[in-house]
Amino acid sequence: MSVPRLAAIEYPLGFLLGRPDDQVGQSAVLHSTLSALSEIKWPGGVVHLPFEWPQSARRLNANPPQMPPIVKYLLRHPWHIPNLLSRDIPDSQLQELPSQLAYDIRG
Amino acid sequence: MLKTEQVDSYRFLDRTTKKLVESWTELETPREIPWTPLSKPLEESTVALISSTGLALETDHPFDQDGERKNPWWSDPSYRAIPYSARAEDVNLYHLHVHPRLVEQDLNTFFPLQRLLELEVRGVIGRSAANHYSYMGYTLQPQILLDVSVPAMIQQMQQDGVNIVVLIPV
Repeated sequence: MSVPRLAAIEYPLGFLLGRPDDQVGQSAVLHSTLSALSEIKWPGGVVHLPFEWPQSARRLNANPPQMPPIVKYLLRHPWHIPNLLSRDIPDSQLQELPSQLAYDIRG
Repeated sequence: MLKTEQVDSYRFLDRTTKKLVESWTELETPREIPWTPLSKPLEESTVALISSTGLALETDHPFDQDGERKNPWWSDPSYRAIPYSARAEDVNLYHLHVHPRLVEQDLNTFFPLQRLLELEVRGVIGRSAANHYSYMGYTLQPQILLDVSVPAMIQQMQQDGVNIVVLIPV
């Protein structure tokens, strides 16, 4: 699995462009990401962007205020953890899925 | 200037999430990676952003959070368009695995609409696309997303003359 061109950055999820209100840093990351388009010459090529997440921001994270529903579910049904790891949805849960085809998909 | 050392994709992930991502990566089978050469220089290109944070305009239909709460193995496979001029106060974040305060903290840390407009003003890119897009990133069953939502996004981007798409995961 890969995307055609990958600009890799070791920043935390939710902050891949940079810290809040750091306009200069965010702009530099976006500019470098777009520049990688012409630097990558083959499918699956990777550019490792030259940025370091500052130690002063190490506590910044995007964790939600409440546990995601799947985490709550697995705490009650730990025997289904292997199902999540293998993306093998339990049959009992498959039957409960909403009618996706009827779903309003429009943007 | 590029970094040369190995990329550590898991540097900021907790142990559980790392194990999950590693397991899902192992499930993937190698396949041909699509490739489209750049059709024009960056400074003449129209750029769109796609975010997996489940962002929607305040005035738009919300993503279905209750469906995922009722069945945690499911997530809303639809998508939303966000106009280039949207501000943090115009959008809501519906992804249940991400803190919604990210939007008010600074939308540009994960959906850099304003930074893109600034690059347009500086002449780095041709222009920011009329519309940008978002979907729910937690998708155990991606078929509807891939078969219906993605082609619809592509069609809208083609109509808007988009040349470059930046995917920003969360």
